Amino acid sequence: MPTDLRRPPAPAHLREPGRRPAATARRRRRLPNPLAAILLLFFLLFFVVPVLWLILAATKTDDQLISSNPLSFGSFHALRANWDALTGYQGDTVFLWLRNSALYAFLALVITLAVAVPAGYALAMTEFRGRRTLLIATLVVMLMPSATLVVPLFLEINAVHLIGSMWSIILPYSFYPFGVFLTYIYFSTALPRDLLDAARLDGCSEFGVFRRVALPLAAPVTALVGFFSFVANWTNYFLPYVLLPQSDQFPVQVGLGTLLDNVPQFNPTAGTAAVERPELALATLLAITPVLVVFLFSQRFLVSGMLAGATKE
Amino acid sequence: MTRKIREHAERRARALRGRILSAALGGALVLAAASACGNGGGGGTVTDGFTQAAQTGGTLTVWVDSDRLPAAQLYQKEHPSVKMNIVTFDGDANGSNYLQTKVGLFNRTGKGWPDVVFSSQNNEASWAVPEGFAAPLNKGLIPSSTLSGWATNANEPCTVNGTLYCLRNDLAQTVLWYNATLMRQWGYNLPTTWQQYEQLGKEVASAHPGYYVGSAGDNFTPEIFMWASQCGANQITAPKAVTIDATSSNCSRMASVLDTLLADGTMSKSSVFSSDFDKNVASKILMLPGPAWYGGALFQSTFKAPAGQISAAAMPQWPGESPSVGNVGGGTWILSAHSTNIKAATDFLTWVTTSDDYQGKLAPGYPAYGPAAKTWLANQVASKYYTGDISSVLETAANEVWPGWGYPQFSQEAIWAAAVLPGMNSGKTITSLLPAWQTQAADYAQADGYQVTQK
Amino acid sequence: MTDATSTTVRPAAPAARRALWPGRAGHGFVAAYAVLLVAFGVVPTVYAIYFAFTNAGNTFSGLSNFTAAASDFRFVPAIEHIALYLVFWLVSLVVFVVALSLVLHRLAARPLSRILRFVYYIPGALAGAASVMVWLFMLDPAVSPAGFLLRALGYDTFAQVIAPGHLPILLTIIAFWTGAGGWIVVMYGALNNIPHDVLEAARIDGAGAWQIALRIQIPLLRKWIVYMAILAFAGGTQLFVEPQLLSQASNGVAGRDYSLNQLSYDFAFQNNNVNTAAAISVELLVIGLVVASVFVARSGFFDAD
Repeated sequence: MPTDLRRPPAPAHLREPGRRPAATARRRRRLPNPLAAILLLFFLLFFVVPVLWLILAATKTDDQLISSNPLSFGSFHALRANWDALTGYQGDTVFLWLRNSALYAFLALVITLAVAVPAGYALAMTEFRGRRTLLIATLVVMLMPSATLVVPLFLEINAVHLIGSMWSIILPYSFYPFGVFLTYIYFSTALPRDLLDAARLDGCSEFGVFRRVALPLAAPVTALVGFFSFVANWTNYFLPYVLLPQSDQFPVQVGLGTLLDNVPQFNPTAGTAAVERPELALATLLAITPVLVVFLFSQRFLVSGMLAGATKE
Repeated sequence: MTRKIREHAERRARALRGRILSAALGGALVLAAASACGNGGGGGTVTDGFTQAAQTGGTLTVWVDSDRLPAAQLYQKEHPSVKMNIVTFDGDANGSNYLQTKVGLFNRTGKGWPDVVFSSQNNEASWAVPEGFAAPLNKGLIPSSTLSGWATNANEPCTVNGTLYCLRNDLAQTVLWYNATLMRQWGYNLPTTWQQYEQLGKEVASAHPGYYVGSAGDNFTPEIFMWASQCGANQITAPKAVTIDATSSNCSRMASVLDTLLADGTMSKSSVFSSDFDKNVASKILMLPGPAWYGGALFQSTFKAPAGQISAAAMPQWPGESPSVGNVGGGTWILSAHSTNIKAATDFLTWVTTSDDYQGKLAPGYPAYGPAAKTWLANQVASKYYTGDISSVLETAANEVWPGWGYPQFSQEAIWAAAVLPGMNSGKTITSLLPAWQTQAADYAQADGYQVTQK
Repeated sequence: MTDATSTTVRPAAPAARRALWPGRAGHGFVAAYAVLLVAFGVVPTVYAIYFAFTNAGNTFSGLSNFTAAASDFRFVPAIEHIALYLVFWLVSLVVFVVALSLVLHRLAARPLSRILRFVYYIPGALAGAASVMVWLFMLDPAVSPAGFLLRALGYDTFAQVIAPGHLPILLTIIAFWTGAGGWIVVMYGALNNIPHDVLEAARIDGAGAWQIALRIQIPLLRKWIVYMAILAFAGGTQLFVEPQLLSQASNGVAGRDYSLNQLSYDFAFQNNNVNTAAAISVELLVIGLVVASVFVARSGFFDAD
């Protein structure tokens, strides 16, 4: 449906048949600027080496973590031992944490998308009273530091008797102003008004215009907002830490904090419940894997450009 | 036409803005009203020294950290008729103030407090009493015959104006840990005074360079050395008053010992939990003054020192003074004054702090309750990990913790970590950093609402 | 879009660029969001502002909370810390994110570009508690993979690396490590929205990579860069996670009470003084709003465009 704009458009191609293809091909095959290559390589190392360390740390024993080469592989035996210790921690609690995280993040994601995409569309493409107010209010709320929002939020949720329920987490998660701004910017910069006007001229209702024209073209930003929302909810620590009363409701981030508090190096009073650092590394890897998997799946959508030239004037 | 529409739109936008604002204010006012109502004190009866809530019984809610979870689970197993809701949390470890945060929120909504809480911090009384969370225990709830079983001054952190508001779970009295094999091999005598300790350090520096007689790189270093030296940097004189005298002779004499040993390399600058210590120092420890839990958590679990090597002796003292040691940690159990199930809560509280089944046999740390401590020590001896008689050393030290070091709301450990450790690591002497310690402690105390007297 | 670089000449557009209609459709689209906004955004924010101007007994207290916060001994040092951190953070984020996005976008090999974007993003999943241990080890010359680098700089122990003077750089490194990947993805997607014929036209005209980037791509990324800058500025002034992380990793030696937001948390949850905490939050909010409105006004962020 959208034309692939990465390839040169046909008319230009025909303009200078002899030179253009070769020039294009030459340009594609030219070696990248060495400065660019150095930049990419430097940041590759910067981003990747700590993660590589973390992966290898899960395969070591605590002694090996200190004494052996940081980027050396431990042993499968140690990995197995760490895995057993981790799953044995309070009896498979780590899977309970993962399940909780998935539940909260997914439910909040659904609500966020259902709310943010239409809202961003309307804010970008339509005029209605209160449009600017909403935008300004969103910006203000986004910029408010969260330290003092905890107490009012707690009181609010208590007032509707949701303390202790998972909705006390999911509903605040669903409010995702960052996502609304993303859809706002996306729709306002990438959706050609002519398309909408054309559809309106055809007699579509506003909702029809949204559903038939804007929504199909909104796949990239939907994926973007969905992804960021999922990650924000998955990695949120403070809200569940404060709002959830039962330890079996904790998401995996809070669970990681609990594990951290049982590492003797951080908390010497940890006796028999001591968690070794490679075990914590393994738990961390478990905690971030879903995020990375979701990223891999949605990468294709996250960055695909939206057509900008579909309307031929 | 468009202008008219735009003006119209603007007017409506302003109206809508006004509407949103009033909705928000209305919502806020509703919240304010709700929170105000939430705190309405229901009239309760005054029994056992405090106003008790209506005793409706029900589930006993217990908050423990994961190390005390076995205690709660054992209690449930031994008392199957008691309905318990066991919640694990971080125990306020590692600088978290989760308990205070949650109690603050519960106080606003008027419900949700647990019945019994464990905290790995021993200064909870400094806020739990003013905020009305902790219940007094020595006004009828727990008989004084039971309370007298605690080690001397063990419940000091829990006592405010003579009333006891929590029970100490474990002690962390400081002793002199040492490598008995090396001491025997090199023919050294155990130092009984700090001067002898300093002298021994100098000898080790010249005869056996690379070996250590102590570590000053932790944030609890003042609790090991300064506390034992009766340094008056942390004298809590009233619930919200502190006298800070960090530059007095009691403090500077200890600082100079530490400085001498830091300079000749026998006192480590790294935290005992750092990788640096583990790699370069752990296998070269001759002596290590430290709390009782060094034995299990450090030597046995982290350094994996071989059995039969490690022993403990009494901390060195300053000649002519009554023996005093420091203390690094020790958790407390708090009973909520809002509990609707005080009988069951008190039973649990008494059991978990005094029973041999838990404290004597399962607890990871030295129990604060004397009789249970005896059982605990017998177990340690039976494990045959230590050499020599550490039982009597630990028992004696348990009653020698100097009572002049208080348990304020602000963290002396955090202050030392920020005021002294960076300077020490960049080469300054501890003696030169004592004024900075004094200033920072006074600043934090004032920020926490304490009346500060500086000497 | 009415940029000069647009190759098509549009006929005179109607004065109102958006569809105006008296119906409720616009409201219908935003209704659900407005409910959430009021419930979880506006009400808590207004309540927090209310806290800032009242005291514990719910009586109006004017500016006393603000003066109480400002006279705390940690307030001015926190401001200095944040000011310094902001310089490092804003510059490195904007410059490197835009540069990396542009370079990745120019990369001919699509699979390589995708792999690199994924790899650059991975640390973003390691937010908060998950990365305490990672940084404890990365910054320790004894056990870090970058140990040779740290030792070459003259640091032998963890404690030396986290000396107070190094904190702005360390915190920037940590914040960039977790935060840049996501923004690179966003910028890359924004770059894909630039019509290819525009870039082709420039290439035909003989523009090199630099000029295309400077004259065409970056101006067209204006709104996204502004958004990133606003959030980076606000995030920088509200610095919390990174110093908290370092404080946990170092057991309090570095990063405690480093930033204003940490101070606010201390007031709220350690001293049970929500009012002074709210005063600091309001100050941070005002700073964020002032800067945001400057950005918004100068770039026409809220315009129909």
